[in-house]
Amino acid sequence: MKGKWPIAKYLGSGLLALATAAFAMPAAAEWPNDKPIRFVIPYSPGGGFDTIVRAFAPALEKELGAEVVPENIAGAGGTKGAATVHRSDPDGYTIGIYNIPGFTVNQVIGKDMGFNLDEVTWIANLATSRYAVAVKGDSEIDSVEKLCSLGREAKMSDTGASSTASVTTRIAFQLLDCPISDITGYKGSNDAMIAVMRGEVDATVKPIASLKKYTDSGDLKIIATFTKDDVLEGIPGATSIGKPELANFDLRRIIGGPPDLPPEIVEKLSAAFIAAANSAEVQEWANGAGVELEPVGADEASAIMSDLATFYAQYKDMLMAK
Amino acid sequence: MGFDTLIGALTDVLTSGSAIFVLLGVLLGLCFGVIPGLGGTTALALLIPATFSMEPLDAMYLAGGVMGATSFGGSITAILLNTPGTAPNAATTFDGYPLAQQGKAGMAIGASATASALGGLIGLFTLLLFIPIAKEVVLLFGPAEFFLLTLLGLTAIAVSARGKLLRGLIAGGIGLMLAFVGTDGITGQERFVMGTNYLWDGVPLVPTLTGMFAISQMIELALKGGVVASEGGGLSRGISGIGSGIRSVFQHWTVLLRGSAIGTIIGAIPGLGGTVAAFIAYTSTVQASRDPDSFGKGNIVGVIAPESANNAKDGGSLIPTVAFGIPGSAETALFLGILVLHGIDPGPSILLYNEREIYGLIVALTLSAVGASIIGLLAARWLVLITFVNVHILVPVVVAVSLTGVYVLDGKPYDVILCLMMGIVGYVMIRFDYPRLTLVIALVLGETCERSYHQVMMLSDNHMLDFILSRPAATILLAATVLTLCLPFARKLLERHRAEARN
Repeated sequence: MKGKWPIAKYLGSGLLALATAAFAMPAAAEWPNDKPIRFVIPYSPGGGFDTIVRAFAPALEKELGAEVVPENIAGAGGTKGAATVHRSDPDGYTIGIYNIPGFTVNQVIGKDMGFNLDEVTWIANLATSRYAVAVKGDSEIDSVEKLCSLGREAKMSDTGASSTASVTTRIAFQLLDCPISDITGYKGSNDAMIAVMRGEVDATVKPIASLKKYTDSGDLKIIATFTKDDVLEGIPGATSIGKPELANFDLRRIIGGPPDLPPEIVEKLSAAFIAAANSAEVQEWANGAGVELEPVGADEASAIMSDLATFYAQYKDMLMAK
Repeated sequence: MGFDTLIGALTDVLTSGSAIFVLLGVLLGLCFGVIPGLGGTTALALLIPATFSMEPLDAMYLAGGVMGATSFGGSITAILLNTPGTAPNAATTFDGYPLAQQGKAGMAIGASATASALGGLIGLFTLLLFIPIAKEVVLLFGPAEFFLLTLLGLTAIAVSARGKLLRGLIAGGIGLMLAFVGTDGITGQERFVMGTNYLWDGVPLVPTLTGMFAISQMIELALKGGVVASEGGGLSRGISGIGSGIRSVFQHWTVLLRGSAIGTIIGAIPGLGGTVAAFIAYTSTVQASRDPDSFGKGNIVGVIAPESANNAKDGGSLIPTVAFGIPGSAETALFLGILVLHGIDPGPSILLYNEREIYGLIVALTLSAVGASIIGLLAARWLVLITFVNVHILVPVVVAVSLTGVYVLDGKPYDVILCLMMGIVGYVMIRFDYPRLTLVIALVLGETCERSYHQVMMLSDNHMLDFILSRPAATILLAATVLTLCLPFARKLLERHRAEARN
């Protein structure tokens, strides 16, 4: 008896696997059929991740011919939602947006996120935000040099120490060999920018798109951008200030799915995202909301992720220190 | 200039048929307000996807209707069942429920409706006055002011528990300990998370509050049996009290004004919110009263103060919004989210480019504050009957609805478990006479207090007092804190002095 059962079990599961594979093939070919696609947002409604997903969802529905349902699974700095996607079946009916490079940094410093970032199937990158250094609109500081030669540590403002902006600030100013004190704990990036206007800190590093509304109103002034070229008129980029590697810092809106998502589904999803990004409605939304779309497909997205992992791994010691 | 735009926006709403969205929002807000665990934030969060296909202005009307109505809706359950429908109504239970037990629920609802409507209007009127200097107001409040405000709040907790100072401090201390669970706001490290990522974001407020107030109250009622309005006798089922409730608000207009002012100011400060506003309005009213011992036993003033404050806070929470396009509360954060969803990027020039949406929201809030109260007053006759329902029917319904509400908020099963646990803790606190709201307020304030303390230390290079004294607003807050702390002693001295003079 005892000897027989394992064989039967293996046989049974083998048959089951075959049967599943046989059914999975046509299912994958027909994907998506009548089931809605769950699009997980790892933050509460109303934020940057939420709005880009909701702006894309209708266009995505048109491209895929299937219902796309955005679902907010907030908590634990975005890892809860990501872990939910990770545990879902790789059938193409669950995808998510990821907090990158936030998760990359977590992975580098060995923080347990409840899933392995290397196993995620990357589908597309929708947008990339570049960083800039901003000071108060009427500040006498008009260059990074001046900011770094105040005769004391320059005070910067950020949300949490593990936020992408704070990580960027600390690494970038170390590369610039500039003494700073990063005041963390502001409630959001808007609060951190207002801290500069209030004058309690000297400067802040934030995405150009977020800074734009305050520079337009004259409340803030950008003194340098972390971009390869000088993208803003009269303001030096990373190359111009002699540190081209600063252009590696950015903020992604990257889409992924559970591990082992079948390539044909990834391909379809990827194409649908790029087509959606180029659709008139999404373009119109992006223009109004100040989002710079830079859609790329699955291969490029995977390449971005492995580049980021290598890039941040160099600074592991610095990241672990705080 | 502001008032012309306002009148224009008002005629827009009334003539375009869009008023239906405001009405819809009001009804929805009332429902979400009445149900413990569900609040304005949940209502707006659930509405966001639905507004995607709507015109931005109609979405504003809907959002405004919801925002303006939830806090009054929440006061109904607070008064009738000792179970705050939304977090800010917790302070209303102190005197609202004793009134209901005495069969004066009609009076309490009348006062709450009037105070809510007038408080809301005063808050919005203040907002209109502040619009030209909104930027300066927001820039006035930095980490130093946040720290001192939370300190003031914690001081208010300490002195509010009259006669049971020690119990109050113990409950407050436990609240602070709970507040330190979760990711450290400064360093990003996890603390006391017990190996579960559920606690990364700290102990969540809504499940805690719902457990502490709704569930514990239901345990208490279930064990006691009977009906809520036991003391007043079964004969007073009429609602003759509504008129006197309405009149009482006008009689105590100073309480109304103080509550509204506190609500507006605290509403303008991101992160503190209506719970703290209502609590501080309540404690300051008790402090200022000539007969502080009458509170907690059914003093109508104890309903007017928190209810005016938690509606006035909506106007206040829009001050940071019109100044910089940043939210002053969870509700305004979602309101801004709706704008972003419609391809509008709110920023400091929000009033320049999105004047229509902002004034649309203000008008909707105004109509909602008044409309919700009128609907509430009309329905009061039937609502009061809840207090005559046998608790064996009442308790299962309220428990089921509250737990569903808690689950709907984030879809986390742990929230339901936490809520039940807090219900048991809350019941133990009722039995041993420990103040529950003190714990909840400490939980709300603890995080901001700790975070801003560290920020001030870093900003001032560890010379905190010099930093505080160099900022006028901070100095005033520091003085207010010291004054609050001295008040009970000063009063005691004065009483002794009088007693001696009499002898």
